[in-house]
Amino acid sequence: MPTSSSPRTWLRSQLGLILIVLALAALPFVIGLLNGQSISDVLANAKGNAKFIQGLMIEVFILAIFAISYDLILGITGLLSFGHAMFFAVGSYLTGVALKSFGWSLGQTILAVLAAGVIQALLFGIVLPRVKGITFALVTLGLASVFDILIKTRELGEYTGSDVGLQGIPRPPILDPTDQRLRFYFVALAFTLLVFLLYKRFVDSPTGRVCIAIRENENRARMLGYNTFYFKLAALTLSSLTAAMAGLLNALYKPIVSPEIAGLGFTVDGLLMLLIGGMGTLSGAMVGAGIFRLLDFYFDRWFGEASSFLIGGLYVLLVLFVPYGFVGAWRARALDFRRGRARLLHLFGGRGGD
Amino acid sequence: MPTALRKNRTQLIILAILALLLFMAIQGMSTKDWVVTLLRALSVGAITFLVASGFSIILGLMDVLNLAHGTLFMIGAYVGWSAYVRPDTLIDLLPPLALLLAGFLLGPIWSNWLERLAWGSRRRHLWPWAGLILALALLWIAAGKFPVAIWHAQEYTDSPIVWAQNFERGLVAESLTPAPRGGPALLALVGLLLAGVAASLSLAGLRRRAGQMSGQVAAAARRRALIGCALLAGLGLLIFLFDDTLTRFLLGLDTTLLFLIAIIVATLAGASLGALMESTLIRPLYERPIYQIMLTFGLAFIGTELVRAVWGRTGFTMPRPSLFAGTGDGCPAASIGGWFTHKCSTILLTFGEDTARIRTYNEIFVIIVGLIVLVAVWLLLQRTRLGMIIRAGVQDSEMVEALGINVRRVFTLVFALGVGLAALGGVLAGPSMGLSDAMGANLLLGALIALAIGGLTSYPGAAAGSLLVGLLQQFIIKYGQIGINLPFLDAPFKPSPPLVPASTILLMVIILLLMPQGLFGRRE
Repeated sequence: MPTSSSPRTWLRSQLGLILIVLALAALPFVIGLLNGQSISDVLANAKGNAKFIQGLMIEVFILAIFAISYDLILGITGLLSFGHAMFFAVGSYLTGVALKSFGWSLGQTILAVLAAGVIQALLFGIVLPRVKGITFALVTLGLASVFDILIKTRELGEYTGSDVGLQGIPRPPILDPTDQRLRFYFVALAFTLLVFLLYKRFVDSPTGRVCIAIRENENRARMLGYNTFYFKLAALTLSSLTAAMAGLLNALYKPIVSPEIAGLGFTVDGLLMLLIGGMGTLSGAMVGAGIFRLLDFYFDRWFGEASSFLIGGLYVLLVLFVPYGFVGAWRARALDFRRGRARLLHLFGGRGGD
Repeated sequence: MPTALRKNRTQLIILAILALLLFMAIQGMSTKDWVVTLLRALSVGAITFLVASGFSIILGLMDVLNLAHGTLFMIGAYVGWSAYVRPDTLIDLLPPLALLLAGFLLGPIWSNWLERLAWGSRRRHLWPWAGLILALALLWIAAGKFPVAIWHAQEYTDSPIVWAQNFERGLVAESLTPAPRGGPALLALVGLLLAGVAASLSLAGLRRRAGQMSGQVAAAARRRALIGCALLAGLGLLIFLFDDTLTRFLLGLDTTLLFLIAIIVATLAGASLGALMESTLIRPLYERPIYQIMLTFGLAFIGTELVRAVWGRTGFTMPRPSLFAGTGDGCPAASIGGWFTHKCSTILLTFGEDTARIRTYNEIFVIIVGLIVLVAVWLLLQRTRLGMIIRAGVQDSEMVEALGINVRRVFTLVFALGVGLAALGGVLAGPSMGLSDAMGANLLLGALIALAIGGLTSYPGAAAGSLLVGLLQQFIIKYGQIGINLPFLDAPFKPSPPLVPASTILLMVIILLLMPQGLFGRRE
């Protein structure tokens, strides 16, 4: 950690992040200008490619929050959970039911979703000390499947819309995804950034360090005197809260909350995002979510029916040849790149090679 | 004795509670209902067991959570269907496969010859890759040129659904159009042989430094390779020449015999697919556990898409073999003897004034095959040298390797065995459950639950778990039809269909919370 607090060094160390955030903030306007819309058009949420790209990016942001929350328990803490889709789906469905059937305000709904997030983490926490490894994966998968079955039953169809999905959620007018898409875009972007910074801080904090120690060797962490259960529970709670909030954004954004988000398939999507980006890297989860959603979208557009076959093949190739994901591979290579650049500068007579 | 009781207290209590529940469930039904339900549960349990046992042996020996197992089960079912309903496709496919394999078997021949090559380092490193690319190109061209009679999933008149109906009416022989034979097809066969040769040559070039065999062993390996190659090539050519006669012969067979052939073909296909998968894709990943899960999941994805591409997205049926299909006079049979003389699809069992109608295929044949496999695999594990190595490997595979046993080869064998069992389960499930692209995922979930209940790497656990899953499912389905009289409800309670998967999952969660290692699992 750089201890210097001068603003310039701080700026330099965070340059990549700042540039990416600025680029994302400028993206709707750039796309709008490229398609012949003026800035005021974009600000007024006029129809067009800019609005469409905003929508796609909002989905990417939601998936990125979901993926990073999965990364915290799988990649950082090393808990093999196969029930992560439930965290997300509970947030989504609770938002939908609270807004539609109970007529709650947005603030009340957010509070309820946060409470539900804590309760879910505690539910997994009951299971946590008893089962480990693959058995933990199976139990979490089981709990999530029970929720999946529950929302699909006909008895609860009045609230959840069973197989069809939850439709007609009344949108709060200040955050309407069609009329106020640009605002939604910036809220989602800001929330994603907030989650990312919070997670980075968490992982760098003493608590986060213990979580990493648990992933590396739980027995040794326990030998050092840490009660690993509390640290795992803390990671689970934070992860569950974030995933539930991502679910809330999803329910607000999507016209239909589909029951697919509660199934094993969605957990595996999250796993795929982590795999693309690199497990345990945090930023990898975000990159992976972006690549996953865009790839899914464009493959579907270009190849139609064959797209899922191609994605499966890509997946196998990734596991075999880029096992640490793009960010992981980049980090492993970054040192080589730096050394190579220095040598190049040296060759051209510069003073870079030190 | 009391210490043993105290040690296994939880297990015994759970087993007692489960037995009590079963007893109560039986009490709530009439005799004919519970007999039929019990037989159905055994049938579902048998098929689940075929998938679960292979999965558990693979998991125990090599710590690979093979999520593609359900898909391989499904592929087994579809391959079995093809061999059963379209024997002409099977016969058409055999010559190209035999010749490709014949070329590939020549591997050991090259090593001696390659030693004498004095090429530069760059050329030595590059030519195997060029050879591999050449082999793939040859394979691509030759396989496209070889005509194979096949169905078309997209056109209704030629779709698997219509073929299955034709088969049931005995019309397949009339509707066949033999694929064209002659010069081009023969040329394609030669191309495939060359592709196999090129592939084996380049692989030998890639593997050259791995280690040298001593002279005599190498000579024996060369001789064996030559003989195997000549035999396979000859067999392939023979089948190619007598293609039409063989097809006629297969179509003239009784469907029960044809079904047996389908079972053998599907099991062998599954086993070779498993061996191929282990030796090429999974072997590099033994060091990285989570990545195996993801790899096998990706393979499951690809397999499902492949099945959709070849056999179509719509499900279809697999006709029952003649021994289990009769409905004419003398049916339903009143006894086992009556079944064999009239080949009935159902048997009547009488209990006092009640009679229960039992389907011979689903509720007798499947259970018998399941029991045979249960005993056979148990004998293999307990009484043979391979079984001893497997059991030792489950305990500590490093130690087994240290004792000088080629664990790699055992890994491949066990993977082939496990996948072969799943494929066998697939063919068996075909006539009773029908074929669809979701059958693999559903059964994998059931098998996983069964294993978690019984203990992930325990063989008796796999059997007990499968049985429990079958019992719970079938009793809840039956009670969904007749209703349970609960003391505080007026109308009988009827469990709705979603409760069937939910109940097995809940049972799994409860048992895992009480006994994290499962009912029969080993304590960590």
